[in-house]
Amino acid sequence: MGSTAVAFPSSGTGRAWALTGLYPLLATLVLLFVAYPVVTLLERSVFVDGRLSLVNLGRLLADPHVRQVVTNTLGLGFTVALLGTVLATLYAYAMTRVAMPGKRIWHFLALLPTISPPILMALSLILLYGRRGVITHGLFGLDTTILYGYRGLVVAQILSYFPFAYLLLLHLFRGLDASLEEAAGTMGAHPGKVLTTISLPLLVPGLAGASLLLFGYSFADLGNPLLLGGDFTVLSSEIYQTIIGMYDVPKGAALAVILLVPATLLFFLHKALAKRTAFASVGGRGSVNHPQIRHPAIQGAALLLCGSVSLIILMQYATVLAGAMTRLFGIDNTVSLGHFVAVAAGSRDILLDTISLAVMASIVTAVVGVLIAYYVARTRLPARGALDFIANLPLAIPGTVIGMAFALAFNHRPLILTGSALIIVVAFSVRSLPYTIRSSVVALDQLHRSLDEASTNMGATAGQTMWHVLLPLLRPALVAGMIFTFTRSVTTLSAVIFVVSPHWSLVTPAILSQMDRGDLGEASALSVVLVGIVLLVIYGVPRLFGRDWREVARS
Amino acid sequence: MHAETAKSLDIRGLQKTYRLPGGRSVPAVRDFTLRVEPGEFITLLGPSGCGKTTVLRALAGLEEPDAGDILLDERSIRRLPAHRRRVGLVFQNYALFPHMSVFENVAYSFRIRRARLAQFRAEVEAALAAVGLEGLAARLPSQLSGGQQQRVALARAFVMRPDLLLFDEPLSNLDAKLRLQVRGELRRLQKSLGTTALYVTHDQDEAMSLSDRIVVMREGRIEQVGTPEDVYARPASHYVADFVGRINALPGRVVERAAGRAIVETLGARMELAADRCPADALLLLVRPEAIRIVAATPGTMNGVVEELEYRGDQIEYRVRVGAVLLIAIEAALGRTRHVREGDRVGVELVEHALHVLSGDGSAANVDHASEAMQDPGIAAEAAKA
Repeated sequence: MGSTAVAFPSSGTGRAWALTGLYPLLATLVLLFVAYPVVTLLERSVFVDGRLSLVNLGRLLADPHVRQVVTNTLGLGFTVALLGTVLATLYAYAMTRVAMPGKRIWHFLALLPTISPPILMALSLILLYGRRGVITHGLFGLDTTILYGYRGLVVAQILSYFPFAYLLLLHLFRGLDASLEEAAGTMGAHPGKVLTTISLPLLVPGLAGASLLLFGYSFADLGNPLLLGGDFTVLSSEIYQTIIGMYDVPKGAALAVILLVPATLLFFLHKALAKRTAFASVGGRGSVNHPQIRHPAIQGAALLLCGSVSLIILMQYATVLAGAMTRLFGIDNTVSLGHFVAVAAGSRDILLDTISLAVMASIVTAVVGVLIAYYVARTRLPARGALDFIANLPLAIPGTVIGMAFALAFNHRPLILTGSALIIVVAFSVRSLPYTIRSSVVALDQLHRSLDEASTNMGATAGQTMWHVLLPLLRPALVAGMIFTFTRSVTTLSAVIFVVSPHWSLVTPAILSQMDRGDLGEASALSVVLVGIVLLVIYGVPRLFGRDWREVARS
Repeated sequence: MHAETAKSLDIRGLQKTYRLPGGRSVPAVRDFTLRVEPGEFITLLGPSGCGKTTVLRALAGLEEPDAGDILLDERSIRRLPAHRRRVGLVFQNYALFPHMSVFENVAYSFRIRRARLAQFRAEVEAALAAVGLEGLAARLPSQLSGGQQQRVALARAFVMRPDLLLFDEPLSNLDAKLRLQVRGELRRLQKSLGTTALYVTHDQDEAMSLSDRIVVMREGRIEQVGTPEDVYARPASHYVADFVGRINALPGRVVERAAGRAIVETLGARMELAADRCPADALLLLVRPEAIRIVAATPGTMNGVVEELEYRGDQIEYRVRVGAVLLIAIEAALGRTRHVREGDRVGVELVEHALHVLSGDGSAANVDHASEAMQDPGIAAEAAKA
C-alpha cells in the first residue's frame, strides 16, 4: 500500500472545477432573469423623464381611488389570512389528533385546490351562485349579484388557498414531538389543555407563517378578483386593467411597486418566523406517534368539519364537471360532449403548448435549482449567499408583478423576448426555482458531508460525486420539485397574463377569455381537461418518492 | 408523600397486541401479572422489544391494553384517561417543553390545576433545589446540558407527587459518568418521597443498583421476579442468567443418587451435590465467572487449557477450554502469585455453593441462548453433536 500511495485532494472542493465553472453562468442567468426585470420595474416607477423621482408613486398614493384599492387589498388579505388560518388549523388538528374515518378522502379533497387554477373556484362559484347560478337563480329564483365583491372573493380565496396553509400546519402538527403532549397528559392536562398550553404555543410561529402565506396568496391572486371582484377592485386587478385596458405602463409599474412593498415585507416577516418554528419540531430522539382522541363529541365535530369542507370543495369540482358536460348548465342540462369537442378543436394547440413549455420549465428549474442548491450547501464560492437570496426573491414577489416586470424588461434591448416561448419558460422557471432550491438545500443538508468526503477520498471529482452520490440521493426531492414546477406552471394565471402572445398562448388566460366571453361551458371543459392532466402527472408519474410531492416542495 | 401513604400497584393479566399494516399482529405483552408493594422500586429489565415499555405506557394511560386490569391502591385505573391517573412519567428524551422555562416546566402540573403561584412557588423551588438546579429556574431547556435537562424532568415528575412514578430508560441518553450520578440522585429522591416506582431499562447494572425487585421480561412475558440477588444468584432460567451478568452453562447428568446426595458428572469430572438441588437427571449447571477458580492441574479434577487471558487491572479474565466448552473465569488480580500463561494446562474448580442448577438434558438444544461459553460457533457445533 505504501508504495502505491496516491495524493488525494485534501478537501471536497479541491477538484471541483467542472461544477465551479458553471457558477458564473448560473449567476448570470439569475441576475438576468430575476434581478434585471425587478430592477427595470422599479426604475420605470421611480424614474420620470430620466430622473429619480417619487412623483408617480406620490401621485398614485394621493389618488382616493388607488387608496381605496389598497385598503381593499389589505382588508381582503387580512380576512382571508385570518379565516383561512383558523380553518386550516382546525382541519390539520382534526386530521392529526382525532380518530375518524375517511382521512385519506378528506386529505385528497382538501388538497385538490392546490393543483387547479384558482380561477376554477371563480368559475364554479359563478356557475352556482352567479346571476344565473344553479343555486341562486335556479333553486331560489333570485337575480342577485351577492357573489360579486368582497364576500365572494373571501369565499373563493379561502377555498383556493386554505389548502396551502393546511399543508403547512399538517406538517407541523405531525412533526411536534409526541412525548411533549404525552408528558402534559401525565401531568394532568386533558386534551383541550394540551392543545392550548403545549401544541398551539409551540405552533405560534407556524400559525403566523400560515396566515402570512395566505395573506401573500390573496395579494397575488389575479383570476378571482378579475372574475368575482365586481366593483371591489384590488391591486392585482387594478394593475391588469391599467395595463391591458388603459395601456398606462408607468402607472401600472408604479402600482406593481405598491403591491411589491407589502408583499416583500410579508415575505421577510415570514422568513424570520420560520426560523423560530425550528425548535418546535422533533429533535432526533422524539416520537411523532401522536395519540388519537376518541371522545365522541370531538370526533363528531372533526368529522363534521372535514366532511363539510370536503363536500364544499367537491361541489365546486362537480359543478365545473357538470358545466363541461351539459349544454348550458342550469338552463339546458342536456348531457353533451360538445364543449370537449370545442376544446379539442379550438384549444388543442394551446394545451400542447402549455404542457410542453411547462415540461421544459420543469427540467430547466430542476437543473438550475440543484446547481444553486449545491453552491449554497456544499461550496464556499464567493457571493453564493447573494445568489441564493436573489434566486429566492420570486417567493416574495406576487405573480402579477413578476409578469409585469418580465413584460417591461424584455420588450426592448438588450434582450427582446416578448412574444417568444422562451419568456414563458423563463417566467415559469423563475417562479418555481425557489421551491426547488429550498427542497434541494434541505435534502443536501440532510446528507452528511462525510458522504462527499468518502467519495473524494476514493478519488472522485466534485462532479463525479454530484453525479454518482448526491444526485441519486436527491432524486425524490428533484422529482417532486419537477412535478411541482409543472403543476404550478400550468395553473398560474397572474405570472403569465402579461407574457403570453398570439403565437404562444396558454390555458389559464384562454379560460379567462372564454369566461369573459360568457363561454362558461367551454371554460369548464378546458378546466376539467387541465385538472385531469395535472392529476395524471401527479399520480401517473411513478411514485419514486415516499412523501406527498406538495409536502416535499413546501418543506 | 411518605411511605405510609404510598400506593400499591396491581397489574393483572395485562395483554397488548400490536396490529401492523398488512394484517400481521405482534404480541407485545402477554398475560403480565405483577404486584408492587407501596413504596417499592421495581425495574422491568429486558432487551428491546420485550414489552417493558408497553407495560409502562399502559400504566401511564398512553397505551390502551387489550385485556387485563391495573389497580392503584386496589382501585382500577384502567379506564381513566392519562390526565386523571396521577401517574408521573419520566421520558427517555426528557420531553421538556421547549417554550417554557425550567420553572414553568416544573410548575406545569400546578398550572394545569389552576393553582396560584404563591401556593406552589415554594414547592417548585424545593423540587429544583432537590435536583441541584436552584439557579437555573429561568433558563430554557435548550440552554441546559443533557444531565441538567434530565434533572428538570425528574423534578417535574416528582413535584406532582404522583401515586406512581414511571421511568422510561431515563438515563440512556447520558454519558457513563453522569449516568451513575443521576442514578444515585434518582434513587435518593424516590426513597425520600417513598413513592411507588416502576423503572424500565435494558441495562442490568442500572436494574441491580436501583431496584428492590427486578422483573426480567422476555417476549412480552415475565421470566422471573426477584431481588437483585435472586436474579443474579438464582436465575430462573438460562435466559435470565445470561441477561443479568455473564454465565457459564455446563451440561450435567446425575449418575448416582444416594442418601440425599447426588453425584453429578459434568465436562468429564464428577462432583457431589445435595440431591434436592438436582430437579432432574439431566441438568444445566450455571456458574458465574467469578465462581470458577483456576488451580493447578491435578488428575481426577476438571482440567483445561487457557486459550486466552485478559488482564484488566483489577481483574484477570481467563478463557479455559474444557472439552467442548470454553469456560470464562474471572479472578481478582490482587494476590495473584501463580503465573498462568496462554496455553497452560490448569485445573478448574467450581465453587459449589455458588453453583445454580437447572433442569435440562444438557444438550445444545437446551442451551438455546448462546451463553458466552458457547459463543464460539465451533464449540456450539461440537456440543450439538455430543
